Amino acid sequence: MKYYLMTLGCQMNMSDSERVASVLDAAGCVKVETEEEANIIGILACSVRQKAIDKVYNKISVWNKWKNKKNLITFISGCMLPTDKDRFLKLFDIVFTMPELPQLPHMLGEYGITNPLSLIAEPQSAVDEIKLFWKVKPKYDSSFEAFVPIQNGCNKFCTFCAVPYTRGREISRPSNEILQEVRELAEKGYKTITLLGQNVNSYGLDKNGQEISFAQLLEKVGQMGEEIDNEFWVYFTSPHPRDMTTDIFHTIAKYDCLGKQIHFPLQSGDEKVLIKMNRNHSVSKYRETMHALREILPQATVFTDIIVGFTDETDEQFENTRKVMEEFKYNMAYIAMYSPRPGAASYRWEDTVSLDEKKKRFAILSDELAKHTLEFNQTMIGKTVKVLVREHDRKEGYLSGHTGGKLVIRFKSDNESLIGQIIPLKITAAAKFSLEGELVFSEQLAVNNDQLTVSSN
Amino acid sequence: MNIIRKRMNLHEILEIRNLTESTFIIQFEKNGLEFTAGQHVCVGPPNGIHTREYSIYSAVNDPYIEILVKEVQNGLITPVLKKLKVGDSVVVEEPVGYFGLNGGEKLNKKYLFIATGTGISPFHSMVKSHPTLDYKIVHGVRSHIEGYEKEEYDKLRYTLCSSRDTSGNYIGRLTNYLQELQIDTDSEVYLCGNCNMIHDAYDILENKGIPNERIHAEVYF
Repeated sequence: MKYYLMTLGCQMNMSDSERVASVLDAAGCVKVETEEEANIIGILACSVRQKAIDKVYNKISVWNKWKNKKNLITFISGCMLPTDKDRFLKLFDIVFTMPELPQLPHMLGEYGITNPLSLIAEPQSAVDEIKLFWKVKPKYDSSFEAFVPIQNGCNKFCTFCAVPYTRGREISRPSNEILQEVRELAEKGYKTITLLGQNVNSYGLDKNGQEISFAQLLEKVGQMGEEIDNEFWVYFTSPHPRDMTTDIFHTIAKYDCLGKQIHFPLQSGDEKVLIKMNRNHSVSKYRETMHALREILPQATVFTDIIVGFTDETDEQFENTRKVMEEFKYNMAYIAMYSPRPGAASYRWEDTVSLDEKKKRFAILSDELAKHTLEFNQTMIGKTVKVLVREHDRKEGYLSGHTGGKLVIRFKSDNESLIGQIIPLKITAAAKFSLEGELVFSEQLAVNNDQLTVSSN
Repeated sequence: MNIIRKRMNLHEILEIRNLTESTFIIQFEKNGLEFTAGQHVCVGPPNGIHTREYSIYSAVNDPYIEILVKEVQNGLITPVLKKLKVGDSVVVEEPVGYFGLNGGEKLNKKYLFIATGTGISPFHSMVKSHPTLDYKIVHGVRSHIEGYEKEEYDKLRYTLCSSRDTSGNYIGRLTNYLQELQIDTDSEVYLCGNCNMIHDAYDILENKGIPNERIHAEVYF
């Protein structure tokens, strides 16, 4: 049987998709690149974004018509709101939550696709399900970048977000499994490993002392980096300011393999908007943590998430967010214009800020961001930094990648063998959101030399 | 407990107390759920797919869990919950949330609890869970009948502000009362209820010199 997977949404869904592929491969199915070739089509959905859900409905309507002409089984999983899941049951052949993934071969078996994996036992609880899910070895899409889920679910109940209703409560994956997966990846030569979770730094808190903390997990990963010869960088996303502790920064400072890039979502720089968002932290607490971050990790780049035009956000409250952006000089900000998401608590509130006003606020924050990123990037000119080469750049004859601090950089070369390598580049030019560099050594030397002592910003 | 009921998070209703025409308390089996005072649970009808968050009303050591519910006209959940009877079940997910009394020295601090309507729920749990707590409650309602089980609190510590009748301890809006109230600046202040009240109260408290790290809020929606 040939299968095709469509993945919508965030990195968590991409990681889930790798595990789904692994289960289907083990069941004897073969992945194909187009939906037209497939006999099994699956979607990793994202109920968090309305556009993604609209796409699901469009696609399934087409695929269900194909069933008149060929044998086709459709399934859907990923982040699903209870309401969407109910509707999907009528449209798709198979609907399952991600923790139920190990049961997929069994479900396919009910459609006559027999395979040895369809005989595994059924789990007895939601916790058992997610534990079995984590034991599924993923089929990584990349040969040098990998995502490792460490936690699933969310206890935070931010009013703008539907994740607590699609993925349930926070459950931490056993640390021994995480460390084993990270070790295997590092030993295979993977260059970046991203620890994933909806609230990655809340890791272990659900176990009431029976599991190590996130800082301790990073410590063990850091020690692993010292033992393994291959150079690799470990990142994490997405953390919540409420559970961000300084011991996390101290641990990152200690080990080269722990990426010097911190994603630290702000969402709003106004106390009252944060209350309405139910973020469970204040601007002053965020500021305190940010100061500690800058002091302990002065070389780290800091990225953030911001929502503009949240329900009832006034000009003054928005201005408070702009001021915080000015104060913290982020290296990147993912700015979103607020749109009510079905399933989230705020969906029940009137969306009071007009689209024009949201666009205006979006533009103001984008300009604010660009001022600081350009200023910072210009300070990088002349420095030699380590860069992970990731792909061909849009500009012909160039490759692109990112620094240890995840700043985007391109350089002139068409040597494909550099893709997937960490190499030194001398920075020659800076723009608002990217850098340009040149090879320090010959390309061959660059591939072979992993003993360079250069900055990893 | 039956494995299927456990897997479906079903908890049997033990008691229902109707407080007003639209507001009621549902008491259901605890089934081993542990929580700290101030946390909430997601509760929904037994055969539905939706749940809503409700602050826990009962004390941490009570052998059951209670929630205080106000029926929302045309709502998805509350009209169904209102029709349930003793012996029926509700779906209950595990307690979560961060709206709680901080630290080990909680009994040495002064607390000011400010609530509107059913926002009194987490404070009832806190007061009943910690009988020696040094607290004051300011409860904003429209009419005195919304002073839900007010006899449960020490009379000297509870102030009912009624905005639409004259039966409260204070006649007028909660925020007017706060303007007039002398507040110890070393108090920990907790706000729970509708967002407009919380935002207005936040300004008043800041103007009175309460540092924002001592202001804790939980918005009801």
